[in-house]
Amino acid sequence: MTMIKSINQALDLIMSDDPDAIILGEDIGINGGVFRATDGLYKKYGADRVIDTPLAEIGIVGMAIGMSVAGLHPIPEIQFQDFIYTAMDLIINQMAKIRFRSASQFSCPLVLRTPYGGGIKGGLYHSQSGESYFAHTAGLTVVTPSSPSDAKGLLISSTRSPDPVIFLEPKRLYRSIKEDVPDGVYEIPLRKAALKHQGDDITIVTYGSMVPVVIDTVERNNVNADVIDLRTLMPYDKDTILESVRKTGRVIIVHEAPRTLGMGAEISAMISERAIEYLYSPILRVTGLDAPFPYRNEEFYLPNEKRIMRAVKRAMEGV
Amino acid sequence: MITVEENMTESISKEEKALLVKGYTAMVLARTLDKKLVSAQRQGRIGFYTPMMGQEASQVGLSMALLPEDFVYGYYRDIGLLIYRGGSIEALLNQTMGNSADSARGRQMPSHLMDKSVNFFTVPSMVGANLTLAVGTAYAYKMRKRKGIVAATFGDGATSTPDFHASMNFASVYDVPVLFFCENNQWAISYPVEKQSKTDISEKARAYGIRGLKVDGNNLVDVYRTTRQAVESIRAGEGPILINAVSYRMGPHSTSDDPSKYRKDEISEGSDRDPLVVTEKLLISMKVMDEHLPQAIKSQAEKIVDSKFEESEKIPPASPEETFTDVYAEDSWMLQEERGDLL
Ligand SMILES: Cc1ncc(C[n+]2csc(CCOP(=O)(O)OP(=O)(O)O)c2C)c(N)n1
Ligand SMILES: [Mg+2]
Repeated sequence: MTMIKSINQALDLIMSDDPDAIILGEDIGINGGVFRATDGLYKKYGADRVIDTPLAEIGIVGMAIGMSVAGLHPIPEIQFQDFIYTAMDLIINQMAKIRFRSASQFSCPLVLRTPYGGGIKGGLYHSQSGESYFAHTAGLTVVTPSSPSDAKGLLISSTRSPDPVIFLEPKRLYRSIKEDVPDGVYEIPLRKAALKHQGDDITIVTYGSMVPVVIDTVERNNVNADVIDLRTLMPYDKDTILESVRKTGRVIIVHEAPRTLGMGAEISAMISERAIEYLYSPILRVTGLDAPFPYRNEEFYLPNEKRIMRAVKRAMEGV
Repeated sequence: MITVEENMTESISKEEKALLVKGYTAMVLARTLDKKLVSAQRQGRIGFYTPMMGQEASQVGLSMALLPEDFVYGYYRDIGLLIYRGGSIEALLNQTMGNSADSARGRQMPSHLMDKSVNFFTVPSMVGANLTLAVGTAYAYKMRKRKGIVAATFGDGATSTPDFHASMNFASVYDVPVLFFCENNQWAISYPVEKQSKTDISEKARAYGIRGLKVDGNNLVDVYRTTRQAVESIRAGEGPILINAVSYRMGPHSTSDDPSKYRKDEISEGSDRDPLVVTEKLLISMKVMDEHLPQAIKSQAEKIVDSKFEESEKIPPASPEETFTDVYAEDSWMLQEERGDLL
């Protein structure tokens, strides 16, 4: 099953189990979403619960928050993460802070789904990886899956969170990988990373679309690596990272987002504060560029096997 | 706009009389509290405040038209709305002082009101940010067939925000039970409403296919009667309405603002257009109250406000511990660690 299908299946299960669940967004109803994540749901659950909206991200996000305040469980979709920025005020100043500023008298649990990242020839405005903007905001939980079965379990868990979740879907994985996905409802815990490949020489911390790239790379090159898929970016799982680093003494962080102040910066700082005495070589980052995302040359922008292996060699040589 | 004085005297019922006296009393209480908070700020007893003087009739008239089951997305000046609605003055003062009895634990600046017991949502600083939320809540009320409507208040400045336009459009498209109530005090800090908008604010409704009304926001009877009709229509499922309640911001924008830099005050306290004076005269002429009542209500209000203020002032400030909770339902490890480091 593909990731887009597993997300669709998760949404279907959530909608059928929970009468308060409600989906809203642009073209998600009759059309089933531009990536087809909500295919068939409009027909099954009706226009009141699978709501096509006018074209205004602040309307979608604001309505979702207000619905949640009133006890519904909204799952808004933003068509591309690149288009979320007009609604950032509502995300950062309302969604993330309602619990704090009301001392938990009000809250707004909801799951905001949005496709992110490059690899589909989407150019500047259909390729961005803006996870740091969200992860930098206390009050938000930021989740990103890397496989079809993870997507389903993480999405179901996200809808059961008492707090708002930004659910970032790596769109290049929507249809590029297939795997068996368990039937029915199951949860994958938030705030927990997954060890996706085991080894003693080096720790590679990654998430989202880069997980399959990193796993392919270590398998094809026989790298004896722990590959950690963060799954939740905020609040991320430091213990799994530290346990591995204390074993391997070498760390690479791989993500699509620009290097400067990306997730890698935080993870690197966290490791330096707590486990620097275990390190044999500098912590290295293999990331997207500190530039807007290009159209024709996206393969230059995205981390790949070659760049990851260059970092592995540097880390192993300890220089 | 107002023809209230002539045509409404005879048609007034006993219940409406009692209601109007209650409304007038809330206006006086709001005015008294407002002045107390401004002077307390000047004396350094509170940190900041956004006065509402001039908006008493608008706020209380709206509040009179609402029912307890309605949900209110208010804004920072709404103490009159909140007082009439039954919000506690103690809670309001505790919020202002950020003391340990504040139900929001001293996290927000003064004027950022909240009173869940009367369905009054927590107020943010950003102008207009409550509006799309109100539409979502109204959608939920409609879908769940819950009793009640949603009312959102905001200033004239807020009508230029993208949130305003999106919320008017979404409310219209989904035909939800929401009242948009513009407390048009004619100024957005230093920027006058004539520059803010080239159309009358009530006319904007037409572009979205909803109804727009304009009321004299200095006249309690006009605000109340028009708003009540609007609310009844929304309650009956006839769709959203925008009301432009025109008043005048008689004070500074906030205790940090000096209006002499950008305007000459047009309405001063006690003058003919002061909403308290307008309402007082009107209610006396309508025989809703006799001319001695206002003085009695005012001295009562002063006693209440003074004593409650002093009580709140005695309560110790919110503890630093309050900084580390309610970020998530379950604390993050980051915050647990930061708490351990600092406390
Ligand atoms: C989005 C946003 N921009 C700017 C400000 C700063 N600010 C606070 S109040 C205000 C004026 C608001 O005017 P209006 O909406 O008419 O309400 P009033 O203060 O007159 O009641 C401004 C510019 C803000 N709080 N939020
Ligand atoms: Mg104004």
